[in-house]
Amino acid sequence: MNRGAPSVIRAAVCPSPPLLAAELAGRADVLPGLRTACAAAVARLLAANPDVVVVTGAGAATATWDPDDRLDLSGYAPALGTGGKPGLPLAVGLGAMLLDAAGYAGPRVLQAVDEQAPPAECLGVGASLPGLAPRVGLLAMGDGSARRGVAAPGYLDPRAASFDASVERALREGDMAALTGLDPDLARDLLATGRAAWQVLAGAMSAPGTASGPAGRVLYADAPLGVGYFVAVLDPPDREPVPVPRA
Amino acid sequence: MSGAPGTRVPGPLVLGGRSFSPGQLLVMAIVNRTPDSFYLPGVTWDEGAALERVHQMVAEGADILDVGGVPAKPADEVTVAEEIRRVVPFIATVRAAYPELVISVDTWRHEVGRAACEAGASLLNDTWGGWDPELTDVAAEFGAGLVCSHAGGLPPRTRPFRVSYPDVLADVLDRVLGLAERALRAGVDPAGIVIDPAHDFGKNSWHSLEITRRLGELTATGWPVLMSASRKDFVGETLGAAVGDRLSGTLAVTAVGAWLGARIFRAHDVAPTRQALDMVAAIRGDLLPARMVRGLA
Repeated sequence: MNRGAPSVIRAAVCPSPPLLAAELAGRADVLPGLRTACAAAVARLLAANPDVVVVTGAGAATATWDPDDRLDLSGYAPALGTGGKPGLPLAVGLGAMLLDAAGYAGPRVLQAVDEQAPPAECLGVGASLPGLAPRVGLLAMGDGSARRGVAAPGYLDPRAASFDASVERALREGDMAALTGLDPDLARDLLATGRAAWQVLAGAMSAPGTASGPAGRVLYADAPLGVGYFVAVLDPPDREPVPVPRA
Repeated sequence: MSGAPGTRVPGPLVLGGRSFSPGQLLVMAIVNRTPDSFYLPGVTWDEGAALERVHQMVAEGADILDVGGVPAKPADEVTVAEEIRRVVPFIATVRAAYPELVISVDTWRHEVGRAACEAGASLLNDTWGGWDPELTDVAAEFGAGLVCSHAGGLPPRTRPFRVSYPDVLADVLDRVLGLAERALRAGVDPAGIVIDPAHDFGKNSWHSLEITRRLGELTATGWPVLMSASRKDFVGETLGAAVGDRLSGTLAVTAVGAWLGARIFRAHDVAPTRQALDMVAAIRGDLLPARMVRGLA
């Protein structure tokens, strides 16, 4: 690979439950392990010194939002009016929140992708990302199936476990083809909101010039509340280890 | 003081060095050092049993302990000396066990109030509506809080007999604001003055329903309002419920009172009262819910 060519230098994958915004949980510390894993993944992403971080996640339409937009929690908790941007997709807003929590103040692009977009459209959005800057960091926000058990929001679907297992394996093994091949109809049936974002990820990390699949590391894979959550970090295969900046 | 006569901007309630903000809903737990109170008579007559009850009430979320030695109902005389014997050593014991707990003494007598303050009480719950004016001076002298109550002018330990009011709420306001003014003049810390319409005291049950319904007129004065309705006769008469079966009605009164702005709730049943108040506080937005997950995973 030409080291001077623009590329996605590192990607982080995080889920997008509203509960990631801690105040929505009330006094309880809900999903502390997931929160820790997300923070770790974002810290790894930022340690790669990206010129710009692209946050991507499913929304009502494929659109780029103002980098200063933040999640409006009032739709979920009217008592917690936060003055965010009405309409900003949950996944994108939570990604922005994670960047803020990590202290990232650099350039960012908030890229929503139509939750119904066919894989080719998602891949296309992803493929356009390396051109944004020499060093692009990607934060892909999305969830596995919300039908992982009888107590899950969407009740049990027996196909949910294997669907989520295939996603986890793909992230662990950097198998972008497997993410590309996720079936939108099945994902919709399973209330797996991450499908579109993961296919953006696949498009970004399979861009021309990338010799083979990225190296993945899964920091979290569980469904404690009946929804599949994955946290992962992916690095292009032919990159030297990126030096961690002195804090 | 500001606004209409007798009104003030709600501020923190300060008792025994502790400060409670206007949004906080406080449980005042009842401990009767009597053999003959109307609910569970004698249950805390024994000092050991009383202390056990205190441990439980604190664990269940009591903010204030209200210790009384004389039942409200007419019965055998309890002398000043006997009342002191009943409540003061016990207050000292509780104070030693819970240095931070706000302890109130339920008495109309200044001698008892003085001894209680010396033993560690920081609130004088003058349920009989200022019958003994010197109690106010004790509050001022010790920097204690004072509950200014409406008892319809009845002497302590008497029952209402064919009481009528042109406007019971107006009478309550007139009396409790007058007592609050008297307390201010006597030098009582304004941050420790509380008003209480005193359900059932000098009132029939219609009157008690009326002051409950119109409690907002009391809270609008800005003074912290104490609600003392726990298992009282007006709950029983309204529901046709014996004293042991008045918890649900009491909690309904509690919730309505909290919604209308009362800040202190005198209660026999601490855990259910705490839970009811927490629910109201969360509805009002004054308390974060415990754990919200539904639909948010």
